[in-house]
Amino acid sequence: MIGRTYTNVGLWGIFLFVVAVIIPLWFPPYQVTLVTEVIVFALYAVSYNLLLGYAGLLSFGHALFFGTGAYAAAVALNHIPGLSIFGAVVIAVIVTTVTGFVLGGLLLRHKGAYFALLTLAFNALFYAVATKWYSVTGGDDGLSVTRPDISLGIVDLNMSDITIFYYFTLIVVGLVILFSWYFTRTAMGRTVLLMRENEERMKFLGYNTNLSRLILFTFTGALAGFAGAFYSLFFQFTSISAISIDMTTTVLLMTFIGGTGSFTGPILGALVFTYLQDFLSDITDRWPIIMGLIFILMVLYVPGGLSGMLSSLKKRFGRGNYMGNHVEMEGQG
Amino acid sequence: MSTIPVFVLHGLAYASLLFLVSSGLTLVFGMMNVLNFAHAAFYMVGAYFSYSILQATGNFWLSLIVCPLLLFCIGALVERFLLRRVHAFGHVHELLLTFGLAYIMTELVKWIWGNYPLSVSIGSFLTGQVQLMGFTYPIYRLFIIFCAMMVGLLMSLTIYKTRVGIIVRAAVNDSEMLNALGINIPRVFMNVFAAGAALSGFAGVIAGPLLTTYPGMAGDILIDAFVVIVIGGFGSLGGALLASLIIGQLQSFGALLIPKLSLALIYMLMAAVLIIKPSGLFGEEQ
Repeated sequence: MIGRTYTNVGLWGIFLFVVAVIIPLWFPPYQVTLVTEVIVFALYAVSYNLLLGYAGLLSFGHALFFGTGAYAAAVALNHIPGLSIFGAVVIAVIVTTVTGFVLGGLLLRHKGAYFALLTLAFNALFYAVATKWYSVTGGDDGLSVTRPDISLGIVDLNMSDITIFYYFTLIVVGLVILFSWYFTRTAMGRTVLLMRENEERMKFLGYNTNLSRLILFTFTGALAGFAGAFYSLFFQFTSISAISIDMTTTVLLMTFIGGTGSFTGPILGALVFTYLQDFLSDITDRWPIIMGLIFILMVLYVPGGLSGMLSSLKKRFGRGNYMGNHVEMEGQG
Repeated sequence: MSTIPVFVLHGLAYASLLFLVSSGLTLVFGMMNVLNFAHAAFYMVGAYFSYSILQATGNFWLSLIVCPLLLFCIGALVERFLLRRVHAFGHVHELLLTFGLAYIMTELVKWIWGNYPLSVSIGSFLTGQVQLMGFTYPIYRLFIIFCAMMVGLLMSLTIYKTRVGIIVRAAVNDSEMLNALGINIPRVFMNVFAAGAALSGFAGVIAGPLLTTYPGMAGDILIDAFVVIVIGGFGSLGGALLASLIIGQLQSFGALLIPKLSLALIYMLMAAVLIIKPSGLFGEEQ
């Protein structure tokens, strides 16, 4: 089982990577921009699904990490002269890691609906701070960001070129997504899954479940912060919308449309959501209603999302009915 | 110095709205264990319905009666045909459903009524000012406080003195046992959910003329109502009342004394409660 899963993921990874590499050669810059956005949101959605699909924690405050990362990178680039692009991202990750650790300690005492409510309230707090703290965040005006070039000794990478920035994003964010996937295969990642299934038993077996949950929460916060930093670099602008509840709604829709039942589901969700939004917003100004309807219909009829639908098609002739609500343990055989 | 009583009354008026919204939220939460994200959307829809009724008829009292009834029907339909369906999928799906509903309702409202604030004029004697001990005060805010007190009284009488109230309280405690005793629990759930929606709609109707009617009003009061629940404790009506009063005063005096921090004040209070007593002031340890 393990072998097969690894080969599958490996093959899919290589396929996606090849497709991603040739996109700028064949498609116009507009498409390149859109795919860059997809990659950034894919990481954001993957980080969200580590909470929702893997740990079973429904958070309505994920945008606070995304936005904090975005603002941290933007503020760092604006105030530290000569800071490299990596420096900005590292600062964003450090800030969101600390935020995640502190908030996790406070919020993770609660579960279920109460946890959901608290995360939403804290997202509102961060939003309020970002709106009011004009001297740092620029309030409603936002902050503009210039992407610093990367000097590789012989050649300078001109980051203002979208194709170069696209490749940069593809490699760096791609590696982080890969790392998150690796994380789910580690003992720690498996602990999280088992904890969701039967926490009492895990405690009994001597696992410190509270600590594991805190580590996971902090890790997903840092990942979202990473995505947020790239979001700011990508748009070359950080606005209040990066930290708003709408950004949480976005990631929720992406993750849910893609499916919470697998690691790759949210990536698919980010792709479908971004293109759907692009497509619908051309047709009508009322696209959020259609998005909302799609979401509700999926909650009602396709709780496993697109990836759940795909696997249930695949498994139709194999083992029984597949609900695909959650990530299942694979490769235990 | 007449500033202090004025701000106390301002705080009371906002606390009244908050209590009307959060009491329904906390009851549904305590009973069905569903955190209803759409609850504040009902409040917003109530305000918009009222706006349209006022445009058409100009009769505020009519909208005060009709809107809650409409919201009751909407709430009942939502519970019966949507929420009950996803109940089997578990907790996360119920939350997601109400969240999606709130999202759609907000977008629909923007579509139908436009994405800008609408000022509501009620044009009866309520718009005037009244002379209190040494200062004048708008009658309308006093009317809001009066309404909330009446509703609160009616609600506590229903819940603590009638048979329906006994059933509701028992359902909060242990709905499965109640079901086994022959009470039609799904129907109780539906009615309580609908009553919560009606209450929220009622709050929306009276909030419209005070705070203007705008698409963001749902999100604004939702967060405050959540904070009320956190501070007051799960499913506790008394807690909701006390927390509403505290937050009303905090907002009112926060805006007066430290305007820069007033937004953050209630969150600081919430964080403090979470650290000191995570279950809220009146909540039971889980």
